[in-house]
Amino acid sequence: MHPFEYVRATDSDQAVAVVTEDPSASYLAGGTTQLDLMKDGVLDPDRLVDITRLPLGGISHTDSSIRVGALTTMEELAADPVVRERLPFVWEALLLGASTQLRNMATIGGNLLQRARCRYFRDPTVAACNKRSPGSGCAAIAGIQRMHAILGTSDHCIALHASDVAVPLTALDALLHVQGADGTRTVPLTQFYLPPGDTPHIENVLRHGELITAVEIPLLPAAARSHYIKVRDRVSYEFALTSAGVALVQEDGVIREARVALGGVGTVPWRAWDAEDVLRDAPAGADTFLAAARAALGGARPLPGTAFKVELAQRTLIRTLETVAGAES
Amino acid sequence: MTTLEAARAVGPGLDRVDAPMKVTGKAHYPNDFGYPGLVHAALVHSTVAAGRIRGIDTSAAETAPGVQAVITHLTAPRLEPGPMTLLGASPPTPFQDDRILHHGQHIAIVVASSPEQARHAASLVRVDYERSEPLLDVHDPRATVVENPWGLDSDRGDVDAGFAAADVVVGGTFTTPDNTNNPLGLMSTVASWNGDSLTVHDSTQWPHNVRATLAAVFKVPESGIRVLAPYVGGGFGAGLRVWPHVILTVLAARQVGKPVKLVLTRPEMFTSVGHRPDSVQQIRIGATRAGDLTAITHEGLSSVAMEDDDYEPVSLCSAVSYACPNVRTQDRQVRLNIPCPGSMRGPAEGQGNFALESALDELAHELGMDPVELRLRNYCEEHPLLGLPWSSKALRDCYLQGAERFGWSRRDPRPGSMRDGRWLVGYGMAGVSYPHYQVPCQARASLHRDGSADVRSAATDIGTGTYTIMTQLSAEQLGLDVSRVHFDLGDSDMPYAPQAGGSGLTSALGNAVGAACRNLIREFLDVVKDDADSPLRGAAPDEVSVSGGRIHRTGAPDQGESYTDILTRHGLEELSADGRSTPPQPDGGGMATAGAFGAKFVEVRVDPDLGLLRVARVVSAIDGGRILNEKTATSQIVGGTVGGIGQAMFEETATDPGTGRIANATFGDYLVAVNADVPDMEVIFVGGPDRATPIGTKGVGEVGLVGVAAAVANAVHHATGRRIRSLPITIDQLL
Repeated sequence: MHPFEYVRATDSDQAVAVVTEDPSASYLAGGTTQLDLMKDGVLDPDRLVDITRLPLGGISHTDSSIRVGALTTMEELAADPVVRERLPFVWEALLLGASTQLRNMATIGGNLLQRARCRYFRDPTVAACNKRSPGSGCAAIAGIQRMHAILGTSDHCIALHASDVAVPLTALDALLHVQGADGTRTVPLTQFYLPPGDTPHIENVLRHGELITAVEIPLLPAAARSHYIKVRDRVSYEFALTSAGVALVQEDGVIREARVALGGVGTVPWRAWDAEDVLRDAPAGADTFLAAARAALGGARPLPGTAFKVELAQRTLIRTLETVAGAES
Repeated sequence: MTTLEAARAVGPGLDRVDAPMKVTGKAHYPNDFGYPGLVHAALVHSTVAAGRIRGIDTSAAETAPGVQAVITHLTAPRLEPGPMTLLGASPPTPFQDDRILHHGQHIAIVVASSPEQARHAASLVRVDYERSEPLLDVHDPRATVVENPWGLDSDRGDVDAGFAAADVVVGGTFTTPDNTNNPLGLMSTVASWNGDSLTVHDSTQWPHNVRATLAAVFKVPESGIRVLAPYVGGGFGAGLRVWPHVILTVLAARQVGKPVKLVLTRPEMFTSVGHRPDSVQQIRIGATRAGDLTAITHEGLSSVAMEDDDYEPVSLCSAVSYACPNVRTQDRQVRLNIPCPGSMRGPAEGQGNFALESALDELAHELGMDPVELRLRNYCEEHPLLGLPWSSKALRDCYLQGAERFGWSRRDPRPGSMRDGRWLVGYGMAGVSYPHYQVPCQARASLHRDGSADVRSAATDIGTGTYTIMTQLSAEQLGLDVSRVHFDLGDSDMPYAPQAGGSGLTSALGNAVGAACRNLIREFLDVVKDDADSPLRGAAPDEVSVSGGRIHRTGAPDQGESYTDILTRHGLEELSADGRSTPPQPDGGGMATAGAFGAKFVEVRVDPDLGLLRVARVVSAIDGGRILNEKTATSQIVGGTVGGIGQAMFEETATDPGTGRIANATFGDYLVAVNADVPDMEVIFVGGPDRATPIGTKGVGEVGLVGVAAAVANAVHHATGRRIRSLPITIDQLL
């Protein structure tokens, strides 16, 4: 591991100032991604600014949303009764997203900023990785593709965004509160992540030194039902091959409101706007669900090793829609 | 032979005698050992799979904080090759030239004051390669093919005539991937020189092999080398050989003149300590309409490293498992630029059984015959190659009792006919005829004046229960309570023991321990043979029994005395005796020595829409000969079954097609079964003592894994109608 200086931040302004001024500095929160990548030689910050003592935890509620401090752990968020009652698919995604040990360490802010699980990105002996070394190429495209994305990919990167909880949060239009050296701003999660394009090393709109301070999650209408399904090779402790987070409001068998996002398939947590358009004001039933699933995967660009994911993702979404709509017991 | 009246020490599920040490942290594994002045090593690996090292720049590493030495092929001394062993040649000695044979090959070792400093310095070594195009695919026409690598290809009868006589012929191509052993304990070596003598703590399954290899490689006397492995964090075969990192640690310790510790990282475990090689198998089976096998051909193709050997006769199982007059089996190996393969739990059998037992299931389906009935119909009472009756074989009971326990009769044979809500339900089974393996072993038993016994041998307990069952066996053989027996192992200064491998240690060690105990009783009788005060005076070994810490005349418990009384009266502190075992010779006793047999019954659930496969329950019926401890033996089968589920559904070491890099060398990417994947597992033991040896045991370390993959695949066929011929069985195959 590259030697580094460890700094424990005492207030947010100081933390932001230190990291903003030092291009080789990084924040340290739960560390469940950051430290792994440092040990593997993928990240080599000269300075780690530990923010875990900052007052950025805690969950507060209003009638229409919950505000989650960025240092809230996944486990703390999953334990919040409002999340469980009003946002069941967020609760499910949290529990399916990591083991208890990791949920107790990992923060919600860190979860949203987790790096790609790509086996080529995570091994510095692989020379060709545009995400790690811009312009070096992408070994994954010619390599073992099974765990990679089919939506939002480019010729320069096919790495997947592997967060589970980001899927329902994307569907919910969650907002990120961000603090920078010049003040604070708010970024919708749906506009936070950047597709790889020809700059896969730029993964989101944060500028160096900007710090996520809170995530604001709108609550679903009381009449909504939601569900998150995760399909993976083993029953637990594994990233998704495909996943779907769905929230529906139905009225007499007709879908009035639909929020749909997919995991395991996108270079970013994938909001399935086209599927929502199909679902809205359509009768809840097999034909509608199939049409929605096809719409959701319409832009897929599979490789031979990921071809099966197009079908699997559609079936995963259909199963999730069926479950939420109550068509399946 | 001395009569054993108190046999209660053996059989029941005695708790592991080493459990308190382990759960209280007092059991010291190799990487727990330290020495004053201990320094730490880290390895540098090749990032190409073939070529030469044109230049290697260690200057930055050498000046990094804490660094004491950086050793490469340019600075390493000339070292000798390791010796031939029971398992074949030693792996190539490292650092002897500039050639690169596989990605991940060790090319430098860095020694520093802390492990962190060593790893960081290792990252600073810069290498200039002259690259060659690596050979990575068993189908690459440029690769060297080794025909009949072990001389085990077999051909009996006339297979062409057999297929001509068949009413039904089934078969196809079956493939299995590379699997990596992945014991939880990271393989570790601590080496400390004192002049020409050397102490090594190593994660080995075979201390004497480490000693002999290091003596040969470093040209020092074996007598000065002590190898210690009292506790090892698992092995699954990864600890059977003396891998290059062990030699490099010992070399580093000599170079820096200090004790050195090396703990492999998890990614290094994928490239440094062997793996189950992939296989491509062609199998054909012909049968009459009535279900009599008329012909089998089975061809196996496996990968092997460029300059190493590995014993993987994958097709051999088809020659020895069923009564069939016409059988041809053939194995080939293809030399590739890959890390050295090596034995992994159920080597060869784990791959070959998948093809054989899947094809038999296909045959049963084609014939409309129950899969159990098909196997019973072709049951072989004699070893098909030797023509001799087995020393023991209760496979019929495995089939019948396993089927009964499982509820096999509830199986509707039509694929896709059984459901549970959305889930398709499948029942599948497979048989296992595990080969016999045994090699010579020695042990020493001592009885002290306080009536306690010490028994020891340089074997290892890699989590299998050897400490426990040898304590029980010694107690039984000496007529002592288990609390009065201390069994010790894992030290090359103890009497010679072979590897914990090949399911062969229990019989080899058990019979050596038995012999030592019998010889020890003989020693006692010798001491009192002219002792007028002894009720045992003049007694011959076959006239006495042992129980309760006493020797007495058989049938006359009052005509005897305790070990303590004999030792005290004769002014002796203790008596000791050695014992040895040699493997039974197949023809000597007019019987074919048998390994374990088993029948595996598996229920799966398949969600056909999402391709989800779940193993719902497994029943394993095992003929393991005499079971010394039902609890530890059951654990062996349960652990093997979990490994079999991994082989069936998850485990696949992925090699990058272009570079030869292992692409999933972490526990996040290389999937093994986790608790949530492991179902209810039931184990029943059938049969009785094997006739081939006095102790009557057969090894159960590997029979638990073999057959699970085929049984799962057969259950998947029953559930879905799909015949999966490629492991692991993943979601994409079931969509």
